[in-house]
Amino acid sequence: MINSDIIRGHLESVILRLIIEEDRYGYEISNCIKERTAGRFNIKEATLYSVVGRLEKKELIESYIGTKTHGGQRRYYKITTLGKAYYEQKLSEWTELKEILETLLED
Amino acid sequence: MNQIRNFVKNTFKDVPKDRREDIVNSVTESLIEKVEDLVEKGLPEQQAIDQTVLEFGTVEDYFVNYQKKAKREKRQKTIMHYRNDLLLSIFGSLIIIGMLIFANLYYMPNIIWFVIPSIAVLWWPLAVLYNLLNKKENKKVDIDE
Repeated sequence: MINSDIIRGHLESVILRLIIEEDRYGYEISNCIKERTAGRFNIKEATLYSVVGRLEKKELIESYIGTKTHGGQRRYYKITTLGKAYYEQKLSEWTELKEILETLLED
Repeated sequence: MNQIRNFVKNTFKDVPKDRREDIVNSVTESLIEKVEDLVEKGLPEQQAIDQTVLEFGTVEDYFVNYQKKAKREKRQKTIMHYRNDLLLSIFGSLIIIGMLIFANLYYMPNIIWFVIPSIAVLWWPLAVLYNLLNKKENKKVDIDE
C-alpha cells in the first residue's frame, strides 16, 4: 500500500470535504474513504476518530444525535462556517502544492 | 457491546486520566455505531464485533499526529533549559574564580595558587556545554529521520 504519511497530512481536509457534502457519522466517513479510493487507502479508525475529535475541538465541525431510517441513533457531524472557510483555505493550499510538485516532478 | 467498551478501555489505558474518559466514550460510541451498521448489513453480531476490533488499529494510530508534536515541543523546551544552565554555570564560575583571584592577591600575593581551583571550577560550564551540544546533535539526528 502507498505510504500514508502524505495522505495523513491532508486527512483533515478529506474529512471536512466529506462532511461538507452531507452530514455524516463516524463509520460512514471511513466507509466513504474506502469506497472512493476503491480500497487503495484504508484509514485506520483510530486515526479517523482522533482527527474528527480534533476537528470538533477546533469548532470546525459540530456533532448532534440523529436517528437513522431504521431507528438506530447516530452521532452525526455537521460542518460549521469556520470549518467551511478552513476547508477552502486548505483546498487552495493543496492546489498550489499539487502544481508545484507537478512542475518539479513531471515537466 | 461491553466487549467493545472493554476493548476501547484497554486500548487507551495508558492515556492520562483527564483525557481518557472523553476519548473512551466517544470512540466507544463510534465503534458501537459501526457494529450496528455491520449487523444491519447481515453480519452475525460476534463477527461484527471482531471485525470492528480488528480494523480499529492501535493507540499509536490514534495519537500519531499529536505525539510527534508533543515530543518536538518537549525537546525544544529542554534545549532552552540547557542554554539557561550554561549561562548560569558561566556566570557562577566567573564569580567563584573572581573571588579566588581576589583572595589570592589580597592575602598571599607571592604565591599564585588560584589557577588550580579555577581549573576545577571550569569543569562546571564545560560539562553543561557538553550536554547542550549532545542534545543538539540528537535533535539533528531526529530531524534527519
